[in-house]
Formats: sequence, structure tokens, C-alpha cells
Amino acid sequence: MKTWTGLCVAGMVLLVAGSSVAARPVQAPGSAVRLPPAGNAVAAGNAVAAPLPPPDLALRLESLLGEHSVLAADLMRGRIRGEQDFAQTANAALGQNTDAMTDLISSNFGPAAADRFKSLWQLHVTALFTYASGLAGADEGVRSGARVTLVGFERDLAGFFADASQGRLNRDVAQAAVLMHVNHLLQQADAYAGHDYATADRISREGYAHTYAMGRDIAAALVPPGQAAALDAPVWRLHSELGRLLAEHVVLIVDATRAGVVNGPDFTAAADAVNGNTRDLAGAVASLFGPAAAASFQSLWADHIDQIMAYTAAVLSRNGEGRDAAVAKLGIFENRFATFLQTATERRLDATGLAKALLAHDQMLLHQTDAYAAKQYQQAHDMAHQTYAQMFDVAGQFADAFGATVAARLPSGSPQTGLGGMAGVVGER
Amino acid sequence: MAVAGRVLLATLAVLVATVPAGSAAARPAHRAVTVPAPPGGAAPVDGFRSVRTFDLVAEPARLRIPAVQVDTALQRLGRRPDGTVAVPDSPNVAGWYAQGPRPGQPGPAVLLGHVDSVRGPGVFFRVEELSPGAVVYVDRVDGTTGSFRVVRVVKVPKTSFPTDLVYSPTLQPSLQLVTCGGTFDHRAGSYRDNVIVYAVPS
Repeated sequence: MKTWTGLCVAGMVLLVAGSSVAARPVQAPGSAVRLPPAGNAVAAGNAVAAPLPPPDLALRLESLLGEHSVLAADLMRGRIRGEQDFAQTANAALGQNTDAMTDLISSNFGPAAADRFKSLWQLHVTALFTYASGLAGADEGVRSGARVTLVGFERDLAGFFADASQGRLNRDVAQAAVLMHVNHLLQQADAYAGHDYATADRISREGYAHTYAMGRDIAAALVPPGQAAALDAPVWRLHSELGRLLAEHVVLIVDATRAGVVNGPDFTAAADAVNGNTRDLAGAVASLFGPAAAASFQSLWADHIDQIMAYTAAVLSRNGEGRDAAVAKLGIFENRFATFLQTATERRLDATGLAKALLAHDQMLLHQTDAYAAKQYQQAHDMAHQTYAQMFDVAGQFADAFGATVAARLPSGSPQTGLGGMAGVVGER
Repeated sequence: MAVAGRVLLATLAVLVATVPAGSAAARPAHRAVTVPAPPGGAAPVDGFRSVRTFDLVAEPARLRIPAVQVDTALQRLGRRPDGTVAVPDSPNVAGWYAQGPRPGQPGPAVLLGHVDSVRGPGVFFRVEELSPGAVVYVDRVDGTTGSFRVVRVVKVPKTSFPTDLVYSPTLQPSLQLVTCGGTFDHRAGSYRDNVIVYAVPS
């Protein structure tokens, strides 16, 4: 218990340090120590950027919330494993993610709203860490205390969104969405702590998808009513959906390579999650371009993943030749996949530029693996973040090209599905 | 296309600059790692092989809408040479636009049926009566059934048929039922409106 308390206090210190702003003092569980707030209020420090148009605001919010769910799980799992260095860098990354969300809210809804959001959100992160500490220390009292804090957070954040949307987002609906987000994080942590990694990763995938849906719904309610319709436009929806799937590819393969490169017991479940995402991506391609194209896509995509994993295995076994071989095979994949996409989109995407973007994607993933293996967690998180962000940009270009390619093949005009025999009845309806 | 290529290249320039030269990723340099080799035998990551198959939703075979007594086989439909969608050969049978998603697959699946023939009601005669919440079943060739819930029913002039909303690519599974409605233009031999029923998986 004494050791646990010390860890918790240390953890709370690093949590506060990792967040650039803390609006209120926090108290470590089981301790009389009150930690002072750190950093500055949003309004005092940051320049306010220009507001984003609603479609971009929604995409950005989805992306940031999705990354938040991943980093929060990283933080909790790091705490459960007792890896304080990793948890600290995950917390620092969460702090940057919180700052980015705060900036987004500040630019669109003003610094006062941003300050209120940030203080609530930090409380949320702190309570999640406390909950994970309770799991690590098998202390139900700490977990219960964290749950109480989180219930208050759910109510307050729902109130914040209801107020910010001027009532367009129902408070109960918002609270249910936030509750689900919190439950996903707590349940995945419970499963992870119980070594049920398959359940932990299944819930994490559900939680990640939920944050995208929540981001879309919140954005739709926050923007002026006349502008929310932009989020129903097919090309926006395709961008959002491709962004979610492609960014999830990054999230899951980062998690799997981290587990693989340390020969962790959670590797198999993490790899299964990667396979789940690969199936979903192939299903998306089948919907857009048909089953034959989807089969070609999946074959190439599987080559990509196999070589990322081969590189990971080579790092683990210190096999330099194996690493070089994987890198060389990735180069083959990059060119083949770029050519495939150029053909599938009828040259709306350019193979040369694509191959170089894929090279950058692969390089970042491999470097992330190197950094994690060397316990350079800050670099690992930076690389993971940049790879995640790159995927969302790529998704936008894919959505434009895929959407235009499919749209060019759609039927024109209106269906002629009536010959008039019942016109007297039909016309009176 | 050119714009996309330029943006990707610009993104690349920034991203590649962020990969430290010492990384093995910056081909073909190497770096030392501190992780010990797995004790005895291969690690699970050694044996990993990516999945190379996915579950493809089977083609639809039959449509059932109990609320309006629809129970029909489904004909595969494509596009006519003039680019318009083909319609079912028989007024008593509905059709599936087979160049788009299958019902239950990501994206919008489109089923079409006649509201009438020259002599009497067609298979979709009562589809306009559907209300939000009504259930639509699609039986597939593999014996599975997809269930959908009507979310809205709209009538639109044929001159402004919303092709983008009915057919356009998204990855959210949905089902659209399309037929004719409104008044009949005897000179053109066509109804003036289309009725579109939007449904989502239930």
C-alpha cells in the first residue's frame, strides 16, 4: 500500500507535468498531498487561430478524440504494467492532444469555453490514470473513487456541450455518449489488467470507433444549424470513414509492433486487431470498387503488414539482415500499391507521389518500432502521432479520388419505375 | 490528380525530414536496440502472417417488407447504354443495382421496383405508405438475412433526383428503395416524381 501510494503520487506529479494546463489543484488518491496547478490558462497563453469551417472542424474533432482514446489506453496500460517511463510519455502526448482540442474549441467557440473544456478534460485524464493505478494496486477503493470523479465529469462535460450547442445537443444524449466513452476506457483497462488481451483490444476498437461518432455528433450540434448539413455530404462522410479506418491501421499496427518488439503477452491479441482492421479496409474497397479489386488490395496490404511485422521480429532477434530484407520488401510493396491505386482511381491518384508517401508512412512506422525497442518513448510517441496525422491527410485525398472515380460510374437521371396503370391512385397520395 | 500528387509530395518532404537518419527506417542504416532476444524458440511476432481474406456479404436474393405485403425475388440490374439505371423487367419483381454495394455491405445498396404496370399495381405500389420504423428484410443467396429499419420516406421531382444521396459512395451500410410517385405525365409516359425510402441496418 505504501509503495502503491508512492507510485500514485509520482504518477500524479508526472500527470500534471505532462499537461500544460491544470485549472485546479489535484489530490493524489490516498494522500494528503495537494499538487499545485501547472501551466497557464488557455486565454492567457495561446494565440487564437482562425475558426475552421464546419466540415474541417468535425474531421479535426473526430481525429483528436480518436487519438485521445488511444493515448488514454496507452496511459492506463502503461500504468497497469508498471512502466512509469512509458506512462509519462503517454501522458505528455495526451497533454498535447488535450491542448490541440482546447485550441480547436478556443478558435471556434472562444477562450472561455476552451478554458472550461480543458479543466474538465484534464480531470477526466487524471481520473483515468487514478483508475489504472487502482487496477495496478488491486485497490477497489481507489477505483471506486475514480469512478465517482468520472461520473461527475460525464455530467459536467455533457453540460458543457449542451450549453455550447445552445441546447441543440440534448444533455442526456451527450451524457450517454460521454459515459460510453469512459466505459470503453475503463472496461479495456479491466480486461488488460486481467490479462484478457483479446477483450481489451476488442473494446478498444469499439471505443475508438465511438469517439469518431461522438466527434461527428458533437461537431454537428456545435456548429450553426444551417451549416451542419455539410456533414451529411457523401464526400465528407467518405473522408471521415476512410480517415477512421486508415488512422486505426496506424494505431493498431503501432500497438502490435510495440507488443511484438518486446515479445509481450498481448501481441497475439494486438495482431488480431490489426487483422480486423485489414478486413474492414478490404470490405470498404469491395464496396467502392468491387470484390476483385478488394482481393488485390488486401493481398498488397497484407504484404505491407507482414513486412512491418518481419522488421519487428528482426529487431527483437537482433537480426540485421532480417531488417534489411523487410525494408527492401516494403519498397516493392510501396510501388505496387501505388500503381494499384493509380489504376483503381483511373489516374486520379499519381503513383509516383503515392509511392513516396507510402515510403514515408513505412519509415515512420519502422522508426517508431526502433524507438520503442530502445525505450525512447518520446520519439516513439512522436512518430506514432505523425503517422496518425499523415493518414488523415491521405484519407482526404483518397476520399476525393475514390469518390470521384465511383461517382463517374453512377447511373444518371431518374429511374423509370412506373407505367401509369394506377396513376389515378398514385397521383392522389 | 496533379494537385493530389503535389500535396502528397509536400507532405512527404516534411515527414521524411522527421525520420532520424540513424533509424533503420532511413534505408539501410541500423541502430542498436536494448531489447533482449526472446528466450528459446520463436516469438509470436515471428510467425505472424496477415489475414488475406475478408467476409464479403452475399448477394441479395429476395426482398420482404411485411408492413406493405412485399415479398419478391430480386433481379440483378445494371446501367443502360444511355447511362440511366436499368429497371426490373417485370412490374411484379424488384431489382438490385448490382454495380453498387450489396445490402449490408458498407455503403448504399439500391433496390428498385415498379409502382405499377399499364394494367395494375406493381411490386412497390404500397412502398410510399412506409413509415419510419418499418422493417425491411433482405434474404441473401447464402441463406442469411439482413434486417433494415426505415428512417425516412421522401418524394422528389424526377428533374432533381438526388443521385449523390441515393448512390454515392460512403462506408455506412444503408438501403434505399426507389420507385415512382406523384402525378403521371401522359405525354411523356412517366411519373413526375420518385419515391425514395431510406433505411439503415437494424
